[in-house]
Amino acid sequence: MSTDEDCLGNRPELDELTQSYLAAQLAGDRREAIRLLMEEGIGRGNSVIDLHLRVIQQAQREIGRLWEQNSISVAQEHQATAVSQLALAHLYQQSIRRPAVGKSVLVACVEGEMHDVGARICADVLDLHGFDVRFLGADVPTECLISFAERTHPSLVALSVTLPTHLGTAHAAVDALRARTSVPIAVGGRALDTPGAREGWDGVSIFGADAIELLNAARSRLGVPAGGTG
Amino acid sequence: MTAGGYADAVRSLSRELALACDAGGTILWADARASELLGARPGQALRSLAVDGSGGRVDQFLRHAPDTPGRPWELAMLVNGRPATLAVWAARIPSGLGVVGSLVTEDFAQALEQVTSTLTEVAELQRETVRQRAELAARNGELVRVNRELEDSNRGVINLYAELDEKSDSLRRTAEVKSRVVANVSHEFRTPINSIAGLARLLLENSDGPLNDEQRRQVGFILKSADELSVLVSDLLDLSKLESGTLRLRPAPFDVSKLFAALRGTLRPLHTNPAVTLVFEAPGPLPVLNTDETKVSQILRNLISNAVKFTERGEVHVRAWSPAPGRIAFGVRDTGVGIAEENLERVFEEFTQIENPMQRKVKGTGLGLSLSRRLAEILGGALRVESTLGEGSTFTLEVPAVHPEVSELDALQARSASMQPGRSPVLVVEDDRQTLLLYEKYLRDSGFQVVPARSTDEARDLMRRMRPAAVVLDIMLDGEASWSFLSEMKEDATTRDIPILVVTVTDREQKARALGADEFWMKPMDQQWLLRRLRALARNGPVSKVLVVDDDEVSRYLVRRLLQDTEYRIVEAAGGAEGVRRAREELPHVILLDFVMPDMGAFEVLDELKKDPVTRSIPVIVHTSKNLDEDERKRLSVETAAILNKQSLSREIAIARIREALVKAGVGGDAQR
Repeated sequence: MSTDEDCLGNRPELDELTQSYLAAQLAGDRREAIRLLMEEGIGRGNSVIDLHLRVIQQAQREIGRLWEQNSISVAQEHQATAVSQLALAHLYQQSIRRPAVGKSVLVACVEGEMHDVGARICADVLDLHGFDVRFLGADVPTECLISFAERTHPSLVALSVTLPTHLGTAHAAVDALRARTSVPIAVGGRALDTPGAREGWDGVSIFGADAIELLNAARSRLGVPAGGTG
Repeated sequence: MTAGGYADAVRSLSRELALACDAGGTILWADARASELLGARPGQALRSLAVDGSGGRVDQFLRHAPDTPGRPWELAMLVNGRPATLAVWAARIPSGLGVVGSLVTEDFAQALEQVTSTLTEVAELQRETVRQRAELAARNGELVRVNRELEDSNRGVINLYAELDEKSDSLRRTAEVKSRVVANVSHEFRTPINSIAGLARLLLENSDGPLNDEQRRQVGFILKSADELSVLVSDLLDLSKLESGTLRLRPAPFDVSKLFAALRGTLRPLHTNPAVTLVFEAPGPLPVLNTDETKVSQILRNLISNAVKFTERGEVHVRAWSPAPGRIAFGVRDTGVGIAEENLERVFEEFTQIENPMQRKVKGTGLGLSLSRRLAEILGGALRVESTLGEGSTFTLEVPAVHPEVSELDALQARSASMQPGRSPVLVVEDDRQTLLLYEKYLRDSGFQVVPARSTDEARDLMRRMRPAAVVLDIMLDGEASWSFLSEMKEDATTRDIPILVVTVTDREQKARALGADEFWMKPMDQQWLLRRLRALARNGPVSKVLVVDDDEVSRYLVRRLLQDTEYRIVEAAGGAEGVRRAREELPHVILLDFVMPDMGAFEVLDELKKDPVTRSIPVIVHTSKNLDEDERKRLSVETAAILNKQSLSREIAIARIREALVKAGVGGDAQR
C-alpha cells in the first residue's frame, strides 16, 4: 500500500496487534493499549523498534486516514495521540539504552506542524541508540529553531513535516539553517511522500520517512559505526 | 431597532459561517462571515479555500456530507489566511448544497493543542527521568566497584597494621631484653668492682702493714677508679630500672640538716681544690619532708660533685628553701665555667659532654645529669638549670615535700578505717607503698575495699576487728613471720576458710630487702652497717659466731677481714651444702647467705635449715636475689589459694584470681562486680 510497509516486510502478527492497539486507542483505554504493547508486543519477542514503527506509527497513520474519512473527530485524534505518547514513554522506560556515541541530534517539527508522534519516535530511536537527542516538539518557530541550533551546536538537525501544507515552512527553515549554521540537516515525515516533495532541497543530506532510515543515515553521515537496531 | 439591526449587532458573536455552492463545489453565495473569514466569493471553488493538501477531503465532504446532514465533517480551511479546523455540515438545497461551518471546533482544537504541547513537555521530562535513573544505576555500579577497591586497600591497611603491631611487639621485646641485659650485666660488674674497692680500702688502712708513699698513691688511684666505676654501674642500673619501670621509691620522713651533714661527709674526698669553698647553708623553716631521701641525696651528690669539678676558684653553695606551700627546692650554685645557652638542655642528655676547657682536666661519666633529671621526675618534681658562660651555674631541684605516693597511701588508710558497705574487704599484707596503691587501684573498681597492713602484726590486729573476704599476703614480708601468719590463719577454725593469695617477689631488690638485706648488698659490706645489723639480731643473747655461706672467695675473705678485730668469729662455707653442714656443726648465731650459688640454691639451704630444729631459729641474712622458678613457686603454692606474681601483676589477672578464690570460698555474690 505505501512504501514504508514494503520496506519493513510483511509481519501479519504485528498487523493484528496494530489493529487491537488502535481499537484501544480510539476507545481511550490506555491501560489496554499499553498492556497490548508489553504483553503481546514485547512479551512475544518483538523489538522495541518494531513496536515503534510497525505498531504505533502504523496506528498513527491509520488514525490520520480515519480522520480524513471523517470517521473520527479531532478530539478523538488527540485522545488517541495522547495514548500513543504514553505508550512511547513506557517503551522508552523499558528499553536499554546503548552506550553514548558522542553525537547530538536536534529533532523538531517545523513551525505550524502539530503532528509530532513521528518525530517523537525518531527522537526515541536515536536516543536509545546512543545519540544525545534534544527534542523540541511540535510547531517550533523557525527563528527559535535557528538560535537553538546556534547555541547548542548539534551534530545533526532533523526536521519533521507531516502535512504537505507545511512543506514551504520546511524549506524556509532549511534555508535559514544553511545561512547561519553549517550543521548537517535531515528532513523527514509523511509530507515527503507527496509526489515531488523530495525535490528542491539544497543542502539537505538526509531524506527519510521513518526512524530506521534516519538512524542509519545519521550513523553513516556522522561516522558512527553501524551497530544494528533494537 | 429593526430585525436587520439586531441581526447586525449580534453577528459579531457568531462562530458560524454559511455559504451555498453547486454540486461541483463552486461557491454560489457566501454570507458576510464566510466572506470575511474564508475570503469566500461566489465563483470560487470551495476546495481552494482549504489548507494545502486538504483539497481531497473537501471533495469527499462535498460528495458524502449531504447524505448525512446532521453529521459534521472537520475540514482544514484557511481562516484569515491561517489553517484552522472547522466543523462543517452540508445539506441539499435547491440548485446545490447549503454549507454551514462552525469555528467552535477550532477553539477546542487550540485548547487541545495546549494539552498536546504540555504532553510533549511531560514526555520530555519522563525521558529525562529515565536517563537520569540509568545514569544513577551506572554511578551505583561505579560505587560498588570503588567500594570493592576500598575494601581491598582496607585489607592492605589492616595487614599493615598487623605488621606494625608485630614490629612494635618485637621492638618492645627487644627493649625488654636490652633492659634485662643491662641490669644483669651491671650486677655482674658489681661483684668484682666491690672486691677491688674493698681490698683497696683494706690496703689503705694499713691492715697488713704500712704502704710507702708511692704505693699509697697507687692504691689511692685504684680506689678512685673503682669508686668511679661503681658510680657508673649504679647509674646504668638505675637508668635501666627507670626505663623498665621497676625503680622502687622509699619515701620516709627525713631532716634536711642531717642530709646536708651526711653530704658534707661523703663529698669531702672529692673536694680537693683549696681555691673552692663548699658551703652548705643552714636551711630556714621547711615543711615536713616525707620523700625518698636516698634519691634526693643521689641527685644532690651528682650536682655538687659536678659543681666542684667544673669550678676552678670561688664557691659551691648549697641551700634548701620552700618556694611554695608543700614544696621544697634545693639549689646548687657554683662560680665555675658555666654553660652556654644553646647547651642548657643538652647537658641533660645521656653521654653528652659539652666542650669546655675543664673537660680536659676532668672527666665525668656523662650519665649523672640525665639520671638526676629522671629521678627528679620520679620524685614528682623537676630539675632545671640557669647559667652564664664564664660566671657559673645554678642547678635547682624542686620536689613536693610529701611524695604523692605517701599522701595517696594516707588517703587509702583513712578510707580503710571505715568499712564501706557493699564492698568486700580484702586485707593486703604488704609493706611496699607503691604495691599497696597498685592493689587499691586494681581492686577498687571491682567493688573491693583494700585494707592495708604494713606488717603481719598489724594484720593480726586488723583481723581481730574485721573479717576480710580474702587476704593478699606478701610471703617475703618479715621473713619467717609471714609463714607463721599463714599457718596461724590455716590452723584457726574461724579463719581457715578465708582464701589467702600469696604474692611472690621476683624483683631482686625486693627479695633481698624483704629477707633482711639492705637495698643493694654491697660486697664487701660496710663494716659499720654489718656490725649494727649483727647487734640488732642479738636480742636472744650475744652473737659471736657468724657463718658466711658464699661461693665467692673474695667475698668471704672480705667479711673475715672486716670482722677480724671484733668479738665475732667467722666460719666459712663455700657452697650451700657445705653451709648447711657447717650450720649444724657450728650452730652459728647468724648466717650470711649468698643467694647466687652454683650447687644449692638459697631456698634449699633455707629448707634444710628450717627443717632441722637445731638450725631452724638461726637468723639468716640473705643478699643478691634471684628470679624464682617453677619449683620455688610450687613450694609456696602448698598452703595457699593462689599465687600472684608481683612483677607481672596485671589488673585483670589480679581480679580474676581473687574472684576465683572468693568463689571457691563461697563468697561469690558480693565480689561479682
